[in-house]
Amino acid sequence: MKPHARRTTARSLVAVGLAASLALAAGCAKSEDDASDTSKDSGKSQDAGQEVAEGGSGKTCAIGDYGAKKLDLKKATVGFSQSEKEANPFRIAETASIKDEAKKRGVKLLTANAQSKPDKQISDVQDLISKGADLLVIAPLNSDGWDPVIKSASAKKIPIVTIDRKINATACKDYVSFIGSDFTEQGKRAADQMIEATGGKGEVAILLGAPGNNVTTERTKGFTDRVKEKAPGLKVVFKQTGEFVREKGQSVTEQLIQSKPDISAIYAENDEMGLGAVNALKGAGKKAGDVKIVTVDGTKDAVEGIVDGWISGVVESNPRFGPLAFKTLDEFTQGKPVGQDIVIKDTEYNKDNAEAGLSKAY
Amino acid sequence: MTAPAEVLAVRGLTKRFPGVLALDSVDFTARAGEVHALVGENGAGKSTLIKVLTGVYHPDEGDLTYRGEPAAFATPLAAQAAGISTIYQEVNLIPLMSVARNLFMDREPKNRLGLIDFRRMHTEATRILRDYGVGVDVRRPLRDLGVGAQQMVALARAVSVDARVVIMDEPTSSLEPREVQTLFGVIRRLREQGIAVVYVSHRMEELYAICDAVTVLRDGRLVHTGPLADTDRLTLVSLMLGRELGEVRAEGMTKFTGDHETGTEPVLRAEHLTRRHELHDISLTIRPGEVVGLGGLLGSGRTETAKAIAGALPLGSGKVTVAGAPVRTGSTPAAIRAGISLLPEDRKSEGIVPGLSVRENIALAALPQMSRFGLVSEAAIDKVVETFMKRLQIKASGPHQKVGELSGGNQQKVLLARWLAMQPKVLLLDEPTRGIDVGAKAEVQKLIDELAEDGLGVLLISSDVEELIEGSDRVVVLRDGAVVGELTGDDVTEDRLLQAIAAAAEEAADTTEAVTP
Amino acid sequence: MTDLALGKSLPADRAQLMRWLQDYGVYAGVTALLLFNVVFTENFVSGENFRTQAVQVAPVLIVALGMALAIGSEGVDLSVGSVMALATSLVSLYLGYGPWLALIAAIIGGMVCGLLSGSLIAYIGVQPIVATLALMVGCRGLANVFLPQLETVRDDTMATLGTGDILGIPYLALIAAALAALVAFTVKRTTFGRQLLAIGDSRPAAQLAGLPVRRVLIMVYVCSGALAAIAGFLATARLQASDPTSLGNLMELSAITAVVVGGTPLSGGRVRIGGTVAGAILIQLLTATLIKHDLPSSATQIAQAVVIVLAVYAARERGKQ
Repeated sequence: MKPHARRTTARSLVAVGLAASLALAAGCAKSEDDASDTSKDSGKSQDAGQEVAEGGSGKTCAIGDYGAKKLDLKKATVGFSQSEKEANPFRIAETASIKDEAKKRGVKLLTANAQSKPDKQISDVQDLISKGADLLVIAPLNSDGWDPVIKSASAKKIPIVTIDRKINATACKDYVSFIGSDFTEQGKRAADQMIEATGGKGEVAILLGAPGNNVTTERTKGFTDRVKEKAPGLKVVFKQTGEFVREKGQSVTEQLIQSKPDISAIYAENDEMGLGAVNALKGAGKKAGDVKIVTVDGTKDAVEGIVDGWISGVVESNPRFGPLAFKTLDEFTQGKPVGQDIVIKDTEYNKDNAEAGLSKAY
Repeated sequence: MTAPAEVLAVRGLTKRFPGVLALDSVDFTARAGEVHALVGENGAGKSTLIKVLTGVYHPDEGDLTYRGEPAAFATPLAAQAAGISTIYQEVNLIPLMSVARNLFMDREPKNRLGLIDFRRMHTEATRILRDYGVGVDVRRPLRDLGVGAQQMVALARAVSVDARVVIMDEPTSSLEPREVQTLFGVIRRLREQGIAVVYVSHRMEELYAICDAVTVLRDGRLVHTGPLADTDRLTLVSLMLGRELGEVRAEGMTKFTGDHETGTEPVLRAEHLTRRHELHDISLTIRPGEVVGLGGLLGSGRTETAKAIAGALPLGSGKVTVAGAPVRTGSTPAAIRAGISLLPEDRKSEGIVPGLSVRENIALAALPQMSRFGLVSEAAIDKVVETFMKRLQIKASGPHQKVGELSGGNQQKVLLARWLAMQPKVLLLDEPTRGIDVGAKAEVQKLIDELAEDGLGVLLISSDVEELIEGSDRVVVLRDGAVVGELTGDDVTEDRLLQAIAAAAEEAADTTEAVTP
Repeated sequence: MTDLALGKSLPADRAQLMRWLQDYGVYAGVTALLLFNVVFTENFVSGENFRTQAVQVAPVLIVALGMALAIGSEGVDLSVGSVMALATSLVSLYLGYGPWLALIAAIIGGMVCGLLSGSLIAYIGVQPIVATLALMVGCRGLANVFLPQLETVRDDTMATLGTGDILGIPYLALIAAALAALVAFTVKRTTFGRQLLAIGDSRPAAQLAGLPVRRVLIMVYVCSGALAAIAGFLATARLQASDPTSLGNLMELSAITAVVVGGTPLSGGRVRIGGTVAGAILIQLLTATLIKHDLPSSATQIAQAVVIVLAVYAARERGKQ
């Protein structure tokens, strides 16, 4: 009798514990929305939306092909599904840009955040649909696993635009179009900047992004391909992951400059790791410009790094999808054909335009 | 009469451990249809011998013969497969599995689909266990059963696997008297079936009740072997202890000297202790210098009463006072501050802290007194530890030896030292000599006497009737969580106690099953 | 050659070998890694390199000290990484009042977290793993409320603390060493330390011996919280930024690894601070070695897994004794 009683209490205690953790989790989930509200103006002050680059597939999509009905965007409800919490400059600017553009156009916007959980994003989108979204803008966390959403969306012929990442489905049938950067291209342009900064000679280290992420793969491929092709004198001698995090970028660079003191350049696949590398170089007593650093993203901190002379160049990955996404949806719902693959034109910062560009950086 | 056939025999068995000669050229023979007692103090080599017989250890020298042929068991499993079953002190079954599953583990009856035939398994299990006096729902998890009933399941399992030799290592240490009788019934049946039984126990009366032959080990050597009928109790004890016969006779079987001078005002007064389903209005008093025995069967509420007084069991209602001052119930620290110390029944899991040293264990309760500003005073501890290790004659390689490595008797002494360091007024001793060897038992009993003489109030719980009678000045008898009688003065005898318990048990028999978990 | 030299002190049979491995394996591992690096790694033997390793190991080590206490009490503290994040967010919030006040705010934050998880464990009887998991989720969320995104920290005192040194020894390493000594002293010489070990070894026995079990358990988690907060403060100083999103991610695993590899059994009752320090250094050297030789990050993870399995295996063998 006694052990039994003990078991019941144990069980109820576990239940209490779980309840507590859920309550805390709920509290934390709520906080993310508040957070994004407070940081809204970081995107608001600039009107710099994206421009369409040349290239892309060139194929277009018209409303008849997709099977949807025309509607007036102003009277429609748009659902926006964000993939991760707005805790880094890129996501903050991205969400803010969508929200601002919706406000500007007077469109009713519903938002959801998947908190980096794939299944949550699927149910988020289904939620948005059931809450009455006529159009969807999705920043996918993953490229795969979208079948259930597509099923419920295509049943209602809801146009979908995905931003910053493609989904594995058929354009103009399962979704309307994809708007985003070409990460391989970003890698190539980073290589161009690196070649210019180093004169095409020396040893370069790469701070890789999170392993198993397509951004990492493509930014690496673009960079190494271009270096091989244009500057065989520039050797990639070190490739280690900094997981897109500043602290990891710093730790890895600290190890790097101990074991390879002659390193002449570092390519960081995002700004955060690049800034970590700057910290490490400062700590090791190096001077600005001793080691050339090129990064990708275009955050304010990184652009400031160019002004200070620590960073040689930054390739921008523009997060302000709002204007272009709504323009695409607007044209599409009016019946005009829109591109299936809209690649945006990313700018870049170097010592010539950094000071001027500081206000544009996010 | 021809001697029964040898089943298992060893000759010239020697086993060395680093620095120790555990067995020194020992001979031992188990015969079919014979119950053979294996006795000796702790450290005499009994466990080592059993472990060699069952394939746990491999001998350094000596020959093992099994059923007439030389044999060597590589693993315990091999020994088991050959027909040697062992029942250990600690039940080695799976607590969360059902009783029936435990009984039939690895040989469950199967139905045509090759799946376990639960219905058959349950009827079989119920039938088998009834022979062992265990009447429980065999579908319940094993851990719901009392320790005694669990032991019976282990026994039933061991015997039902076609054994030729059954080795029992202190099988009765957690059994009630009635369960012991059931066990003896089983052993007699094994004897009739021609199975060799090796019986290890410290309890004299059990040996004489059931065993045919005896082998005495001391310090790893064989000191005596032969029919038990040729050796009387005193001779046996003197062989085990290596003491002169006269010495043993003069001191009696237990080390208790008898009555104590007691104060008049009770040092402990427990009034109307009540706890749902467990304790019903229990009141008792202990005077300084008095040893009060708490009699009754397993499950009568003895342990609960002690725990309640020590604050380890929250009470529904009731009052405890020490030397006239009320003590907050349900709080161990409060009880300890008031001067109440409890030596718990389950020494291994509730008493000692096995991974810590003798020194840390002794100092555990008194730490705050031996600290200043939260910093421990090593000198103060050393002094206390030294004093008590000497006074209680704690045998360890040193104060830094882990308590878990000590023998049961020495562990018990360490616990006593822990409490004596607190200078208590009342000592509650729950089975203080259970599972410890004869020599240590005598020492602990002597100590209890001395402590009482020093003016402590002692509450003594013991399943050993002899110990309870000789040790106590007064015995309070419990049944089903209530006081059913009290023996005082000349009434404190074994007969009277058994009568009191038996009377209680007879009444109880109407309402309870044979062995209830 | 080394085999010959060690031959005599190496124990003969397997059980003893396992015991030896658990007690001294971590030191042998550190020595082996050092030797390997001295021979095979470029520029390994330099003051600058040792400083780098010392600075990087400091936060992990400080967190591991608290973890050792929790594990010694037969518990675990999964919330340490999130407490670091909470601390960094508090630092950035209170830095306006000066770095020392920010440090105090961070420590108080960490202690409150420990008080919460400790109370859940001691009074309500929630399993440590569940209680601290709740805090792990909660603290990370709270950190993001206080500070939604990474913020640069500009403070001279903190910059000095994070990057400076005395006589060539980084402040971070000195602080970590001082804390290790303090915790070792606490375990060895204080009533709290002794009681903690008894509770970790056998809680029922400790309870019946009248030990203040609840108070000690709460203290354990408060200490762990405070240490994690200090680690968070120092990590902030080193990074010169507050990063509540990623600071301390998976720190609990590194800390548990350091403690277990250092010979503290998960079953409680024993705390080895020397071993924990060596365990943290072992992991740091392992990571550094693999980075310096430019092996993929998956290799680091696999190597860490191997070390953990070995440590747990040695502990298990010992448990059988």
